[in-house]
Amino acid sequence: MAKLSNKVSKNTWNEWIWAWFLIAPTTIGLIVLNIIPIFQTAYLSFFKSGDFGRNHIFVGLDNYARMFQDPQVWQAVVNTLVYTLLVVPVSIAFAMLIAVLLNRPIRGRSLYRTIYFIPMIAAPAAVTMVWRWLYNSNYGLINYLLSLLGIPPVNWTTDPKIAIVSIAIIGIWSFVGYNMVLLLAGLQEIPRDFYEASEIDGAGKVKQFFTVTLPLVTPTLFFVMVTTIIQSMQVFDVIYMMIDITNPAYEKTVSLVYLFYNNSFKYSDKGYGSAIVMLLLAIIMIITVIQIKVQKKWVNYS
Amino acid sequence: MKQRWLVGLLALLLALMMAACSSGGNAGNGDAGDKGGDSSKKTTLRFALWDSNQAKGLQVMANEFMEDNPDMNIQIEVTGWMDYWTMLEAGATGGSLPDVFWMHSNEIYRYASNGMLLDLTDRINKSSKVDLSKFPQGIVEIYNHEGKQYAVPKDFDTIGLWYNKKLFDEANLSYPDENWTWDDLYNAAKVLTKDGVYGFLAAFHNQEGYYNFVYQNGGTIITKDKKSGYDDPKTIEALEFYVKFIRDGLSPQIYGDAERAEALQNGLVAMGLFGSWNLSGFTANEFISENFDVAVLPKNTHRASIYNGLGYAIAHNTKYPDEAWRFVEYLGSKEGQERQAELGVAISAYEGTAEKWISSNDKFNVKVFVDMVDYGVIRPYSKTTAVWEDKAYEALRPAFTGEISVEEAARNAARIMNESLATE
Amino acid sequence: MSYKPMVSRILIHVFLISGACTMILPFVWMVLTSFKTVAESTSMNPFVWLPSEWKWEHYINVWRQNNFLILYVNTFAMMAIRVILGVLFSAMAAYAFARLRFPGRSFFFGLVLFQMMVPTQIFIIPQYLMVDALNMRNTIFALVFPGLVSAFGTFLLRQFFLVLPKELEEAAKLDGCNIGQTFLLVMLPLTRSGLVALGIFTALFAFKELMWPLIVNTSADAATLSSALAKIQSAYSVHYPELMTAAVLAIWPMMLVYFLFQRQFIEGISTSGGKL
Repeated sequence: MAKLSNKVSKNTWNEWIWAWFLIAPTTIGLIVLNIIPIFQTAYLSFFKSGDFGRNHIFVGLDNYARMFQDPQVWQAVVNTLVYTLLVVPVSIAFAMLIAVLLNRPIRGRSLYRTIYFIPMIAAPAAVTMVWRWLYNSNYGLINYLLSLLGIPPVNWTTDPKIAIVSIAIIGIWSFVGYNMVLLLAGLQEIPRDFYEASEIDGAGKVKQFFTVTLPLVTPTLFFVMVTTIIQSMQVFDVIYMMIDITNPAYEKTVSLVYLFYNNSFKYSDKGYGSAIVMLLLAIIMIITVIQIKVQKKWVNYS
Repeated sequence: MKQRWLVGLLALLLALMMAACSSGGNAGNGDAGDKGGDSSKKTTLRFALWDSNQAKGLQVMANEFMEDNPDMNIQIEVTGWMDYWTMLEAGATGGSLPDVFWMHSNEIYRYASNGMLLDLTDRINKSSKVDLSKFPQGIVEIYNHEGKQYAVPKDFDTIGLWYNKKLFDEANLSYPDENWTWDDLYNAAKVLTKDGVYGFLAAFHNQEGYYNFVYQNGGTIITKDKKSGYDDPKTIEALEFYVKFIRDGLSPQIYGDAERAEALQNGLVAMGLFGSWNLSGFTANEFISENFDVAVLPKNTHRASIYNGLGYAIAHNTKYPDEAWRFVEYLGSKEGQERQAELGVAISAYEGTAEKWISSNDKFNVKVFVDMVDYGVIRPYSKTTAVWEDKAYEALRPAFTGEISVEEAARNAARIMNESLATE
Repeated sequence: MSYKPMVSRILIHVFLISGACTMILPFVWMVLTSFKTVAESTSMNPFVWLPSEWKWEHYINVWRQNNFLILYVNTFAMMAIRVILGVLFSAMAAYAFARLRFPGRSFFFGLVLFQMMVPTQIFIIPQYLMVDALNMRNTIFALVFPGLVSAFGTFLLRQFFLVLPKELEEAAKLDGCNIGQTFLLVMLPLTRSGLVALGIFTALFAFKELMWPLIVNTSADAATLSSALAKIQSAYSVHYPELMTAAVLAIWPMMLVYFLFQRQFIEGISTSGGKL
């Protein structure tokens, strides 16, 4: 009792030292490798950038003013949000379903697991190639199959109205396996006893899912949701490779990161590009903070 | 049991880290080093480029050069087009540019005006091997900034009219030749459009598309006083002619880069405009090499074919300016240019050497590419080319999809392009 | 009544199989195309699945033209270091964030989340400049550098640590363990499935990173598989069979590694079943 005065107790101090030691490599690494560049980017957003890191001209909030008035930026915000709204729920739902199914001793389990994970392993170049062909309006597989059913060809990647959905399908396709692996890992943490107890109580498989599985996998589910949302908001590669600036669907599919890339790397307007990154960052932060606040309501850490 | 796992893991880790810090492939740390184990004092030059097709031939040339210059070691680095410029920019910002590298009209201004390139003017003047008057002036000018020459011309490429011989035969049409006019093109396209095949590919592309028509009509994309030429009536007229192919159903609506070449391969179109750099790809494709050939572009009031050329530049801060110059000098000399042409690497820019290139490919009538440089128009460029080319595409797109008239789109393009030009 | 489980099992398999087909379709095409002629590979009219002749020459050509052995070595070295260090560092930090209390905990964890929210392209040039300043371009160190620490991994493992019962630490303390030992010997092994999952992902992301190795390791000898694939792309722009051959050569090691580690995964089930 005498120790609990102004001074920190030895135990607590010990805990603190250990804690700082344990987080040291990661934290230092993050700060050097990532946080500093983030601040450099934020700094750069207030300048009209010069070439090769020189001759930056301070322009204050001009880049931001220009950005807020740029209809292309706002459309990109919409595109990115639409994409995220399509990809996140669908891919997580599928991933969850498949993870649950593959968590049971069914036949061919490890083979299925490998196959579902395959999209993640493929080199992006190969994935793009195959999807470009699948979606090809004249000779692609999908339109070919549709033609067998008598349905006229669809312009999957050049029709402004549906291109974003086509891209989202590719997103869902690539995320399912990835989320499945994560959810499987989470499912495996659930001790068998709970299932046994619930069976004794007479619960069927479906009921078990809702009363045992779902509540106990929420920590992993939370992680999957947060990361999938963040990664969807940052979509770039697949759109960049499938939709050129010459594509009629460009306006309605270009994502914020794509826009940032064009401005920073193609047009050498790093100041403007950095402002776009800041906008994206702000949106993502808001979404993530909301999720964190709400997590108490539905996530169970035993 | 668990301890052993950990110990094993840590040992592996240690070994890897030791390997990591000491190894370095052939290049070692930094840019200049001996080629693994060589005790003689060789100067290693980093030579960067973006086309692995050309790299093969250039490697042969580099090897020959190294034989004649045993004190030098040329190390070729190939990076894909998109990443090449990011790589170069990172190098420029950090002060570690390759010693010798390819330069392009899109980027020359940025690099030259920021002093990233070695001024070659004096060396060229003193050199007996490099004679700028022997190169197409348009290309020399690209790499000249404020009176100083920053790169030695390497090659040129032009745009040709590729046509499907079989389809022409079947339709009893005579092949395109140097007498063809716009009308001939249009009429042939009309005849050839049938049974799911389109007569002509009016793709949504500038260099391998409407730019050529613009100049054949006497219009221009950018005027001498750096203003946009998109609102020039002759330009608009040419664009309208081009888009007409789509409107009249003689051309499919093709927007993507990859889809254009595919249209040829899949037998979707009978004719299309493609640059000479596609040659190796087309030769390797059985369908195209068996069915297609190439001709000069049709004429209207003028003859025109868009041409461009790369240059060899040297980093301003290279540790070996003299050695780098020796290499570049060779590449830009008559001898080097002939070799480049012989090996089929590219159409050498040095006067007369292109003839050797023609014989390197016997599948197609590639002579036409060389012929066209006589009336070639340098691909339009300025300091902010990357910006206004994209903006122009965005403005013109609705004209191709049929949403707005060509004239309106062209005026929009002119407006946006002028905005960009005004910032230069 | 006895039909019900049978029917549901069949339905489950039908569902899984149709899902699996869509997943695997692109790859079947990819592998088959590596044996086709160019015309066959781009012909969609008619559409070609099986090559008429199995052309093995693409494999010989592509293998010879690109020094795949060095590519494999570099890629695996890069992956191994990143996996070992990355998982270790993430686990350490994750444990601290999840189970220890200390000033700055929320702030530093916030930093971890913060890093994930930004597009990775903005890191490329600053990180390149750092490696350049250290004069370590064209080394394996350069390839490993950006992947040493992982916000993603830290966040993931934190979730796993949070779930474990508090009594474990108290028991360990009674046994005389300090915090470090508790972490290493007691808590870490219990998050095994999380560790394996993270290991798989770290290896995967390391493998797929294109841009970074391209800029920093510009000599072909120090390149990695994915970036070599990117370079091949611009060359064989129309030559699909060779491109697909290169892709197959590039990914089969990764698939093998995944398949091997994935077995570990299954064992995870049987052990955690008997847990607590």
